[in-house]
Amino acid sequence: MSVFSRDWINTALAAFVVLFFVFMLAPILVVIVVSFTSAGYVAFPIPGWSLKWFANIFAYRPFIDAMIVSIEVAVGATVLSCLVGVPACLYLARSRAAWANTVMTFLLSPLSMPMIVIGFASLFFLSRIGIGISFTALIVTHMVVCLPYVIRTVAGVYAGLPTSYEESAAILGANPARVFWHVTLPLIRPGIIAGSLFSFLTSFDNLPISYFFASASTNTLPVVMLSYLEHQFDPTIAALSTLQLLMAIIALLVVDRIYGIDKMTVAG
Amino acid sequence: MQMQAPIAAKARRPWLLIVPALLFLIVFFVLPLVDNGLRSVAGDAGEWTGARYVTLLTDSFYLRVTFETVLLSAGVTLICVIIGYPVAYFLVRKAGRWAGVVVFLLIAPLLTSIIMRTFGWQVLFARRGLVNNLLVDQLGVISSPLRLTNSPEIAVAALVHVLVPFMVLAIATVLQSVDRRLEESAKILGAGRWRAFWEVTLPLSMDGIGTGAILVFMIANGSFVTLVLLGGGIQTLPLLIYQQFNTTRDFGMASAMSTILLVIAVFCLFLQLRLVRRQGA
Repeated sequence: MSVFSRDWINTALAAFVVLFFVFMLAPILVVIVVSFTSAGYVAFPIPGWSLKWFANIFAYRPFIDAMIVSIEVAVGATVLSCLVGVPACLYLARSRAAWANTVMTFLLSPLSMPMIVIGFASLFFLSRIGIGISFTALIVTHMVVCLPYVIRTVAGVYAGLPTSYEESAAILGANPARVFWHVTLPLIRPGIIAGSLFSFLTSFDNLPISYFFASASTNTLPVVMLSYLEHQFDPTIAALSTLQLLMAIIALLVVDRIYGIDKMTVAG
Repeated sequence: MQMQAPIAAKARRPWLLIVPALLFLIVFFVLPLVDNGLRSVAGDAGEWTGARYVTLLTDSFYLRVTFETVLLSAGVTLICVIIGYPVAYFLVRKAGRWAGVVVFLLIAPLLTSIIMRTFGWQVLFARRGLVNNLLVDQLGVISSPLRLTNSPEIAVAALVHVLVPFMVLAIATVLQSVDRRLEESAKILGAGRWRAFWEVTLPLSMDGIGTGAILVFMIANGSFVTLVLLGGGIQTLPLLIYQQFNTTRDFGMASAMSTILLVIAVFCLFLQLRLVRRQGA
């Protein structure tokens, strides 16, 4: 009896997990399929295959302009977040002071705040100090949500490293700058790469902040996609989404090729 | 001279390293929020006023919106716990060599954009989408396609879809550290499978549920892309801020609503820190 019921429960559990992944993957897979449709409208199943919606992306000028803005903002916010964030990690990850913990909590706190509030509040504040709706404003506001990802990932990697390498280098006569450049930096590089990847993807997919800084020259890709979706419902958005997913997968594979996903998940 | 290096490194105020990050967030994260708070209490003639908060906390429309925001987040959180727990349990206890695949399938959707996932739900439930095609052509249950989009159920499903991986990972992390022998001891001592689960495993994994619940609740509370596109007639604070900014342009009111959202977020952060501290102890 008990053997029978155990089997029954395990089967039910496995079936539930399979259903769960059907639920998780279905909305994504249908978009990928629809992006290859030959129909002029959104329908599933699709009547035939075609690449015309991918061509359509490049026919709609705002998509291309916005994609360039999005890439520039994501790269800019990520590089600056590393420049500002990595030094902070060097101190905080090794500090035993009680206040270091508080500072860390504060540096990570933007992740817990509703992004729409950050975006709305920043628009008025940045306008007041003369930055207003501009490329600079986009970079600065994106940095607010990118910086915590870099800090969390790099600090996680650095805290797990033994102090002995740096100590040995220092004892052997290297000055702090050389210790950093030749010992610390190579050791924390996986953390910086992983943190940068999270940061890039966060910025690239951001809508609630970018929305408030929208203008002809500062529209990011999600903003243009949202306004397109509010007026049209055709497979171009599917093609664009598939392209974006492909980019994310390639980025992840490149990072995996160089550093290994294992190190990344440990870092995350 | 060279031997002084480590001593010099200690003496040179290494805490200066945190100054750029700290300063950046104080200026571009804290000040905008303070500025926003001040705007919410600024009257037309430069005087202080609490009128907007009085409206928010007494007017039946705004009270309903706040209530609906919290209710939606709580509902989504509850569904995530109910769906996420069995998956986390499977991942930690049953998956074996499939664990890598399960983790991959959990993380993969996080690579897709929020627009893609929302669009996916629209495709599934569109007039000529998968569900209507199944109902009309394959099964013949109904004669004409249903208007399925713009229903609150789909909006909730889409939110759960975005947030449930966080819940699974949070529960799995804690479940991993629960000693299996405790469960087995309970069974040896005569507890049935269910009793061992309800009285040993579940209570011991409560911290994971707590961590996941706070995280999911926090993100659900601030989400608005899903609701803008899938609608369903649900009115929440983020949606209202978006509308006030777009159409009514009542920035003072939008600021006050932002502050309410912020207070809820800070409260969640406080709970999260207490939980983390307890786990550390």
